[in-house]
Amino acid sequence: MHHKESFEEKEIRSWKNKLIGAWLFTIPIALLMLLDRLLKINIFSEEVMVIIILILGFPVIFIFGFQTIKSGLRGFTSFYFNMDSLIALGTIIAYLTGIASFFISLQDYSGISSMIMAFFITGKFIEIKARGRASKEIKKLLELGAKKARILRNKEEIEIPIEDVQINDILIVKPGEKIPTDGIVIKGDSSVNESMVTGESIPVDKKINSNVIGATINQEGILYIKATKIGKDTFLAHIIELIEAAQSTKIPIQALADKITSIFVPTILIISVLTFAGWSIFSQDISRAFGISIAVLVIACPCALGLATPTTLMVSSGIGAKRGILIRKGEAIQTMKDIRTIVFDKTGTITQGNPEVTEIYSKNEKYLLEIVGSIEKLSEHPIAKAIVKKANLKSYKEVKNFKIIGGKGLEADISRNKIAIGNEALMNEKNIPLGNFKLVIDEFEEKAYTVLIVAENKKIIGIIGVADTIKEDSKYTINILNRQGFRTVMITGDNEKTARAIANQVGIKEVIAKVLPEEKSNKVRELQRRGMVCFVGDGINDAPALKQANVGIAMGTGTDIAIESGDIVLARGSLRGVVAAIALSKATFKKIKQNLFWAFAYNVIMIPLAIAGFIHPILAEIAMALSSITVITNANLLRRKKI
Amino acid sequence: MKKIKLYINGMHCASCASNIERAVKKIKGIITVSVSLMTNKAIIEAEDNVSLDEIKKTISKVGYNVVNVE
Repeated sequence: MHHKESFEEKEIRSWKNKLIGAWLFTIPIALLMLLDRLLKINIFSEEVMVIIILILGFPVIFIFGFQTIKSGLRGFTSFYFNMDSLIALGTIIAYLTGIASFFISLQDYSGISSMIMAFFITGKFIEIKARGRASKEIKKLLELGAKKARILRNKEEIEIPIEDVQINDILIVKPGEKIPTDGIVIKGDSSVNESMVTGESIPVDKKINSNVIGATINQEGILYIKATKIGKDTFLAHIIELIEAAQSTKIPIQALADKITSIFVPTILIISVLTFAGWSIFSQDISRAFGISIAVLVIACPCALGLATPTTLMVSSGIGAKRGILIRKGEAIQTMKDIRTIVFDKTGTITQGNPEVTEIYSKNEKYLLEIVGSIEKLSEHPIAKAIVKKANLKSYKEVKNFKIIGGKGLEADISRNKIAIGNEALMNEKNIPLGNFKLVIDEFEEKAYTVLIVAENKKIIGIIGVADTIKEDSKYTINILNRQGFRTVMITGDNEKTARAIANQVGIKEVIAKVLPEEKSNKVRELQRRGMVCFVGDGINDAPALKQANVGIAMGTGTDIAIESGDIVLARGSLRGVVAAIALSKATFKKIKQNLFWAFAYNVIMIPLAIAGFIHPILAEIAMALSSITVITNANLLRRKKI
Repeated sequence: MKKIKLYINGMHCASCASNIERAVKKIKGIITVSVSLMTNKAIIEAEDNVSLDEIKKTISKVGYNVVNVE
């Protein structure tokens, strides 16, 4: 990464030198021409004047403009023409008219040739600087990583370069210091400012077993951290990788501009030859024909067309990264404007994803937890974990014939008693009557609990209500999205009543309940029949649905981001990011459209005007330079938009 | 299939990026090419038998230098 940074600085410096050099020689030329041609003060004879201009102009074009001329002329041998080909041809022809004017009667454009080159270099310099501004947030991100780490080796604190940190090294982070790499806290208490990578401005509390992210800033306490990820595997490295890769993705709206860019230069070359031929034949004025065709060469600007989208995408990525919104596929920006339906996964997206046992109905709660805890211990399901945690057993009973019944629950034997734990469907299947327990079940479901019914030997012995806390800003976010006119839908494996209760709490209108995890993408497909769908879910379990949706927004968990799924990734697990991501996408797309419009309009209007002979070559060059600078500046203006 | 990331020096306009894309695409075995002017980077997907040297040579023939390979 380091050499790239200096490479860009070097490039800016080299253009700056060229700029100074070019004008140093061009200004005297301009003054001489001003005196001579406009004010008619002839210091030198006509011929001496041309010689002086040719001598002064030589370094401008062939020394300061060397790189441009070289790269431009290469196009004529390789047939891969670029922007420089137009400038090179334009300036060289103009310069040669000066020499030719000694031999034939021809207007001398050599002074103009220097000015074109000087303006071209100026434009390039401004353009490169503006392009640098466009990527300033991304560059900041690249430099964000810690350079050094304080490490504990042989009970001694030593400072080592970050590259030398190994997994499982114990790192010491003092207050105000940067956390060197991703890790887990093994000692200490503090809070950490993670805003630089997640966009979350409030510091996050960290204690033993908390995950910490490299490049975030430790606040008040000393933290001892065990490094868990280093180098390319860190959270920050993933974010950078993701953003850089996004810059190479194509946005459909740019396709036409790209196609035009690729044939633009040869087309202009042909047009200028035709212009020259046309004017020489019809006006019988070769001097004029030269001037006009030079103007055509230098006014045409494929740059503005080609830069419209990538520059805007760059600025947008930067703004997003600051807020924890990572645009992984540029296409999402364009698709977002057509999204009408937003589907949210429930667990982990609207809710925290950490279910907890909230209420238990049983005559013998202790016994209930003993048997349920022992059985659920064998399951990996998040709800099972919640129950095991609640039961908090010192010793587990012996469980036999453990069996998971997909989507319904599980069964097992404990000391010859047949135990079934699950939902109503399981009880129906086992022909276990609900009886009066139905009332408790209904009550629990209305409270948005996920209900577990426990039966022993076909008799219900208790009901467990498990609730998953709703994330703080879920309600706020859904409200905004509803007001913006989106159709909001929640998808979940829960039963209808529980799902409804949660949906009501956050303001979601539609619920698709009892959906098995593998069916989610099918449900998204069904919804797509009625328009474009955006799916919001965690990147790990919901990958197929995220892919199926027109735009997939993957929620990060704060320490991990799922890179491979989701067109947009939210580094922080807050739903607020969805609103911001939509706003950012829309604003970005609008900017891209604006830029493309201007770039097209510029070429469509200016090229014919130049062909018609209305534009002086110098003005043509200035206009050309301005057009690409305008596009980049306009992209930079995206920052003004409140997202 | 392999993925190659290259840093390219000397690109200064959009037609440069498009030239490199067009030229590299013509190499046999290249699946996708995406050149970003903003990051000076090319991301290339190619069959395993495509040699890096050939890609580098092609890019330099069009007039640009590969400065770094990832």
